[in-house]
Amino acid sequence: MNLFSRSIRELHQMLVDHEISSVELTESVLGQIDAVGRQTHAYLAVTRDLALRQARDADDRIREGARVRPLTGIPIAIKDVLCVEDVPATAGSKILDGFIPPYNATVVERLAKEGAVFLGKTNCDEFAMGSSNENSGYRPVHNPWDLDRVPGGSSGGSAAAVASGEAIAALGSDTGGSIRQPAALTGTVGMKPTYGRVSRYGLIAFASSLDQVGPITRDVADCAILLQAIAGADARDSTSSPHPVPDYLDGLETGVHGMRIGVPKEYFVKGMEPAVEQAVRGALEVYQRLGATIEEVSLPHSDVALPAYYIIAPAEASSNLARYDGARYGVQAGGGHNVIEEYELTRQQGFGAEVKRRIMLGTYALSSGYYDAFYLKAQKVRTLIIEDFQRAFEKVDALLGATSPTVAFPLGAKTQDPVAMYLNDIITIPANLGNVCGISVPCGLADGLPIGLQIIAPGFREEVALRVARAFEAATDFNRARSALIGTAA
Amino acid sequence: MPENEPELSSDEVRHVARLARLGITPEEVTRFRDQLRNILHAIEALNRADTSRVPATAHPLQERNVMRDDIRAPSLSVEAALRNAPSVEDGYFKVKAIQE
Repeated sequence: MNLFSRSIRELHQMLVDHEISSVELTESVLGQIDAVGRQTHAYLAVTRDLALRQARDADDRIREGARVRPLTGIPIAIKDVLCVEDVPATAGSKILDGFIPPYNATVVERLAKEGAVFLGKTNCDEFAMGSSNENSGYRPVHNPWDLDRVPGGSSGGSAAAVASGEAIAALGSDTGGSIRQPAALTGTVGMKPTYGRVSRYGLIAFASSLDQVGPITRDVADCAILLQAIAGADARDSTSSPHPVPDYLDGLETGVHGMRIGVPKEYFVKGMEPAVEQAVRGALEVYQRLGATIEEVSLPHSDVALPAYYIIAPAEASSNLARYDGARYGVQAGGGHNVIEEYELTRQQGFGAEVKRRIMLGTYALSSGYYDAFYLKAQKVRTLIIEDFQRAFEKVDALLGATSPTVAFPLGAKTQDPVAMYLNDIITIPANLGNVCGISVPCGLADGLPIGLQIIAPGFREEVALRVARAFEAATDFNRARSALIGTAA
Repeated sequence: MPENEPELSSDEVRHVARLARLGITPEEVTRFRDQLRNILHAIEALNRADTSRVPATAHPLQERNVMRDDIRAPSLSVEAALRNAPSVEDGYFKVKAIQE
């Protein structure tokens, strides 16, 4: 089996047993990027020299036997919305073409301290706005399972890299489903931690009350390992939580016997593909067999989560994206007669269509005369969604549903219809608005395309989501399926 | 959402674009107007929710101030902060005239 298709845990063991070196491992992954990168376009930039330098450092650490951590020497991909010092960051936008961050995101710094190896920056929808990666200002990402289909978004590059063997694991960011949905569409494991669990310092902001950084990995244990490395309070992000970080591997194998699992009836949405519904119903049977109690629950405001999100997220985005003025960093259009014209030209040329749509939608919702009807109303609906989850979690330990109502769709299928594109996130958005955490794990294939099972746990109970996900993974073999590009070696 | 509100007009699209400092072509005005109308129409579903008894959630975390000791520490150097700027003079960002 190729090194590039193995898990963090397996590779860590091989590294500490001196069976392989991190340089060998990193070269194996870089080789796979060379072999298939032109088919997936998972990366916007590959940091080969940095990766090999970090791999040599990791090998030194392992040789000395000191400071060896679970991620030491493991090649990881970083979504291009996260700043890595001296490595270009674009957030998938032309407006940031050539921008070189002068500092590291906290999550990046934490991975560097662990001795992880940075392979490069992964492609994504522009400013993380999208569900298919077709909003990348550079080029769309192709799904490793079927190159004519989207990998999901916005962390589609990170998900495609893990699914194609172009990374062992990756970081993504999730504002309305941007980790879980691409994980579902690429047969990988992806987790959105609770808001505040992971520092946002150095994350290029989309919607500041919703954004969270999280892992995309090959299996649940790897997800726990990567989350462990990035979770915890950060003095540089006052919205990061002081809530203690548990040991996420501890109790991972405890199983679900005696647990109460709720199935929100609203999550079987209109337009859900029959194969997806069938796979989720199959998963319920698995949990029942494992000794969990399954009960139907109701999250009555699920139907207004999507509209509330499409007010709150664009409103916050319109404010966050006001900083792109071409004066301090990024591309400047030139040719304006005064500073205002210069801003307008820079932003007209630098932003893509979806980003412009959301800036205008958000500006409109916040503008005089509409604030109460749109923004305030949406924030109140957010309260209702939070209460829905609180009531449900009085009765059950975790919630279960599909991650995405469909499997990966063909490139171009939804680009002309923004509303149809937004519906991709209909079952992932509530977790962002509701301050809870969620994970997507593979739960089957439909005509050779992966289906994702979403497990939602209460806020700051990531260990519950991981444990429920792991029980399913251990009891089934859905996780063993691999994309055509990575081979069937597993 | 305001009930019986007339549909988003081209003028409103131009106004919003101006507020957002977003240059916009006449073709874009029409296209964005139609797309935003569709999106706003989908968002009207918000009116279905009875929010009369709940406060707004402005932020997921409890409202509280996060304080730290006021200790001097190194920050980004002027050179590093200006490194990405298209135009710089005497340690400042240089922009076009605000008033002509």
